[in-house]
Amino acid sequence: MSAVDLLNLVIAALLLAGVYAAMSVGMTIVYGVMKIVNLAHAGFLMLGAYFVYELYARFSIDPLVGVVLAFPVFFFIGLAVHWILIRRIPSSDQPTLTSLLLLFGLWLVLQNLGYLIWGNADRAILTPRTLYVLQIGPISFPAVRLIVFGAAVASIGGLELVLHKTWFGGAVRALMQNSDAGRIVGVNVEKTARIAFGVGIAFAGAAGGLLAMLYSFSPDFGGSFLLRAFVIIVLGGLESFAGVAIGALILALAETFSILVLPASYQPAIAFSLLVLALVVLPEGVAGLWNKRHRLA
Amino acid sequence: MKGRLNKGVSSPSKFAAALAPFLLVAILALLPLLEPGSETIRLLFVTFVWVTVSVAWNLLGGFGGQVSFGFAVFYGLGAYAAALSLNRGISPILSFLLAGSVAVLASLLVGLPTFRLKGPYFAIATIGASEAVRVVMTNVSITGGASGYRIMETGTFHQLQHFYTALALAVIAMAISILVQRSKFGLALIAIREDEEAASDLGVNPFRAKLLAHALAAALTGAAGGVYARYAAFIHPQGVFAFSVGVAILLMPIIGGVGTVWGPVIGAVVYGLVHEELIASFPQLHLLLYGSLLILIIFFEPGGVIGLLEKSFRVFAYTRRLSGSHPQR
Repeated sequence: MSAVDLLNLVIAALLLAGVYAAMSVGMTIVYGVMKIVNLAHAGFLMLGAYFVYELYARFSIDPLVGVVLAFPVFFFIGLAVHWILIRRIPSSDQPTLTSLLLLFGLWLVLQNLGYLIWGNADRAILTPRTLYVLQIGPISFPAVRLIVFGAAVASIGGLELVLHKTWFGGAVRALMQNSDAGRIVGVNVEKTARIAFGVGIAFAGAAGGLLAMLYSFSPDFGGSFLLRAFVIIVLGGLESFAGVAIGALILALAETFSILVLPASYQPAIAFSLLVLALVVLPEGVAGLWNKRHRLA
Repeated sequence: MKGRLNKGVSSPSKFAAALAPFLLVAILALLPLLEPGSETIRLLFVTFVWVTVSVAWNLLGGFGGQVSFGFAVFYGLGAYAAALSLNRGISPILSFLLAGSVAVLASLLVGLPTFRLKGPYFAIATIGASEAVRVVMTNVSITGGASGYRIMETGTFHQLQHFYTALALAVIAMAISILVQRSKFGLALIAIREDEEAASDLGVNPFRAKLLAHALAAALTGAAGGVYARYAAFIHPQGVFAFSVGVAILLMPIIGGVGTVWGPVIGAVVYGLVHEELIASFPQLHLLLYGSLLILIIFFEPGGVIGLLEKSFRVFAYTRRLSGSHPQR
C-alpha cells in the first residue's frame, strides 16, 4: 500500500468520524442527564433520514437545509416524547429495566411507522453534488463527505458552545456530573431533562439527515448505527463529549482500515468486537484512561 | 423461605396448587391419544419451544433484572450447532446437548466482559452480539451463509417424537425455574435485581450469579433452538437469528409477568397463539403491536398477566369481604 492510499484511507476515516460523532452526541447527552440508554435513537435517526428525503423529493429543498430544519422539528418531537413517555420513567442513577424496555418499545413503534409510511424499499438522496469528487494532488475528497463532515463538526461545535456558555449548558453539565448536587444548587432537573432530551432527539434527526446523504436507507436503517453509536459512547466513557469525538475516530479508523483485511460485509461485526475489546481493556472509556493518568500525576 | 415450604402442603388448596403443574404436564403428555390434527400438534410443539425460551429469559431478566436483547444469538447458534451435528449422524439428544453447550460458550463471551461492570453495558452488548452474529452467520460458507442450511436425517419423520422432545425440554426449563426461585441462588439474583451494591455487601457475588444465570438461560435457549431446527429441518440466518426472534423472546415473559415462575409460561402461550393466529396475517403491523404492547405493559401493568390476575383476585376478595357473603377468616 502506498503512502497516498494510506493518506486517502486516513482522510476517509476522519470524514466518517465527523458524522459518527454527530449521531452519538445526542445519545451521550440523554444518557448523561437522565441515565437512560435511548434505544429509540435509532428510530429518530431513521425518521431524520426520511424527513430530509421527503423535503428534497417533494419540495426540492436542499438536503443541507433539510438537516438545519431537522434540528427544530426533532427538538419539538423530542419534547413531546419526553412529555408523553419519558417523564413517567422513575428516575434512577443507572438504566433500569423499565427505561430500556420502554425505549425499545418506542423504537419498534417508530420502525414500524416507517414501514407503514415508506414501505421497505431502499431510498437514497441523489443531488448533483453526490458524485462530485474534489481532487487535490493525488488525494481525492468526495464532496458530499466533506460537506457532511463540515455540518457535523459545526453542529457539535454549536452544542459545545451552548454547553459551556449558557445557564442551560451549565445545568446539563452539572446533572451529568452529579444529579443530586445539581439539584442542591438549584438546577430544575425535570426541565433540564426535558430540554436535554429534546436536544438529543434533535441531534438524532439531524444526524439521520446527514447519514442519508451518504448511504441509502430503509426503515430499519437505524439499527446498525445504533450499535455504532453505543460503541462510540462506551469508548468515550459514556458521559464525555470529548470522549465521543475520540470514540468516533477510533471506530471510523477501525472500520475504514478493516477493508484491507476483511470483506466489507463483516463491518457490523467490527463494531461489536471493538465494544467487547473496549469493555475488557478500557471499561471506563478513553476518558477514563485519561482521568486515571491525571489522578496518578 | 423455609416457613413457606413447610406449610405449603398443609392446606388442601395449596396441595392442589402444588399438584396442578404435574396434572397439566400429564394432560399435555396424554393429549396425542385424542388424535388431534397434526396442525394442533405443531402449534403445541412451537408453544413448548416458546415456553422454554421464555422461561429461560426470565431466569436472567426476570429474577436477575438483566435485560438481554440478544437471546436470538443462543437460539440461532443452538439451531445451527444441532443442525451441523445431526447431519454428521450424531444422536438427537447429544446434538441438543451440544447446542446448549455452544450457547453457553456464547453467553460467556458476552457475559465475561460486561457483568463485571455496573451500568447499561450488558444490555448494549447483547444488541451488538445479536447484530454481529447474524452478520457473521450470513457470511459463513460451511452453513450455506444467507441461503440457509438443510438438515438431512435418515429415518422417517415422527411428529410425536418432536412433540415429546419439546414437552420434555419445557418441563426441564420449568423445573429449573422453580428450583432457582426456591434456592439461595434465586434469592441472590433477586437481591442483585433490587440493589446490586447491597447484595454484594451481603456476600452475594453479583458477577458469578449473573454469569451463571446467563449461562443457564443460554443452555436452555440453545437446546430449544436445536429442537426447533430438527423439526423445521431447514434454518437460515434471517430466521433463527432474526431481530424479531430476540424481541419475541423478551416480550413473552414481559407479557406474562417477569420475575415469576408462571408468568413466562402464560406469556409464551399467549404469544404463541396470538403470533400464530393473528399477527402472522398482519406482518406489516407486528412490530407496531409488539412495541405498543411493551410500552403499555411497562406503564400500566409491569406485572404482566400474572400481576393483573393477582390484582383482580385481590379486588374480588376485598369486595366479597365487604359484601359479607364470606365470613372473615
